[in-house]
Amino acid sequence: MKIFVAAGLLILIFIWYLTFLATRLDRLHHRVETSWANLDGLLQRRAAIALEIARSEIADPASAMLLTAAAYQARESRIENRSASESGLSGALGLLLADGQSSERPAEIVLLRELSELTDKIRIAISLHVDAVTRTHLVRRKFIVRLFRLAGTAPLPITYEFETDVL
Amino acid sequence: MLTRSLKIGIVCPYGWDTPGGVQNHVRDLAEYLIEAGHDISVLAPVIDESKIPSYVTSAGKPIAIPYNGAVARVLFGPIAFARVRQWIAQGNFDLLHLHEPAIPSISLLACWAAEGPMVGTFHAAAKRQKAIFAIGPILEPVIEKLSARIAVSEAARATLTEHLETDAVVIPNGIYADRYRDGIPQAQWQGNTLGFIGRFEEPRKGLSILVDALPIISRFAPDVRVFVAGPGEQKDVIESIDPQLRSRFTFLGRISEQEKANFLASISIYVAPNTGGESFGIILAEALAGGATVVASDIPAFDSLLNHGEFGELFESESSTDLAKRVIDLLRDDDRRISLGKAGKIHAQQFDWKVVADQIFSIYEMSLVGGEKVRLASDNRSWSRFIGRDHRGDE
Repeated sequence: MKIFVAAGLLILIFIWYLTFLATRLDRLHHRVETSWANLDGLLQRRAAIALEIARSEIADPASAMLLTAAAYQARESRIENRSASESGLSGALGLLLADGQSSERPAEIVLLRELSELTDKIRIAISLHVDAVTRTHLVRRKFIVRLFRLAGTAPLPITYEFETDVL
Repeated sequence: MLTRSLKIGIVCPYGWDTPGGVQNHVRDLAEYLIEAGHDISVLAPVIDESKIPSYVTSAGKPIAIPYNGAVARVLFGPIAFARVRQWIAQGNFDLLHLHEPAIPSISLLACWAAEGPMVGTFHAAAKRQKAIFAIGPILEPVIEKLSARIAVSEAARATLTEHLETDAVVIPNGIYADRYRDGIPQAQWQGNTLGFIGRFEEPRKGLSILVDALPIISRFAPDVRVFVAGPGEQKDVIESIDPQLRSRFTFLGRISEQEKANFLASISIYVAPNTGGESFGIILAEALAGGATVVASDIPAFDSLLNHGEFGELFESESSTDLAKRVIDLLRDDDRRISLGKAGKIHAQQFDWKVVADQIFSIYEMSLVGGEKVRLASDNRSWSRFIGRDHRGDE
């Protein structure tokens, strides 16, 4: 009799632990979604600013073309290719701004300052997102999580290979 | 940009009315955010509840425990936990900002109890400790709930990466740089003078290293004088000084902010001989902002704050001979001393609250993207559902 009670208790504790893990994982998935939404929003804003720069007098016609193409690509790419196309946009922006472009017109100075502020934020957003994704991967890799399929139907978050040095 | 006013709950793990860097940081941040039009509530352990500002809520009386080489006044236990839960439930917060959530105090409890947008700031920098590795697995699921982590220095960030395998954004501690910008030099503190500010009784502040260095310094600079500002009992320290040199030391006691600004503008060299236990070095940042030329020990926090010696001279930590040598060199080379002071003053502007609070606020914005509010965590949502279903089954 005693043994049944003990076994029952153990099973209960085990189920409790499973639900605890499931909640933890659920929360992590949620964190990934939030950090991605944040990053996505910032990247969209960057693409918009890139288009504005392309139309302004900072860019010569050739760079304007390059920049416009890169910005559109970044905006329209699917989630799997996103990081590659964003890196492309970073490259195009870098190419244009590396020449030590300085502008005297106030509107353009504002634009460039906005871009540099945005870049700082994106850098932070990337590190937040990458941290959330790696955490989720770590927990999902646990044997017990895989065995009981605690992740349910949630897709495995994609690791983004953002090249921070390009930003 | 968010322009609406936010309701932010800040948790301070250490006794509010005891001196300390974290408490000062929380107070300054809270007051800055209130000034900016936000609704701030701070939860902290409090000793004397009659003397707290209106934005502070007491979580109970702190308990003194030894931690990281000093006495920490923290608070935990079931009653504290209940108060934390109550504060979260009634606060209706948009965001929680928890300070030192990896230390056994109310920040950890709050992190455990809450769910939603949470930001954590890690202040401490500790060497590799087995104890922290051992509790790591327990902390992990808790710390994991934070939507963003801030470390106050590279040293604090390294501690976090090492012990809890998680990364953080480095945002330095803030100072009110403009309070120290326009100090008026006072004649009584000028000349070949060295300054020291801090609780000099604590061994880790390193005053004894300066005391040991003075015989050598005074051989090369016979008119050198040392001014020590800060609260504490002077008797023991004075007795440890060579009787012939005692007259060189002046203890000023606690000084006001205005006096501090004047003090920093007057002295030739500010000495920071701390031997450790320092994660950021707020006093060093203030000394730089006040235009003082700084000689500091090469502990990691100071090394990164002074950018490896670019904005102040570094000496080998705990070596009074190296300290003496650096001080003498600087006292002899006026040009270098003055240019170091000027460079340091410009460098210190990045620690001003205007800059720092902006950075912290942009982290807040990022955590708020999900559009949720802070609420009490149901740590076992699925468990409650399971039980709930069980009940229905019985009926």
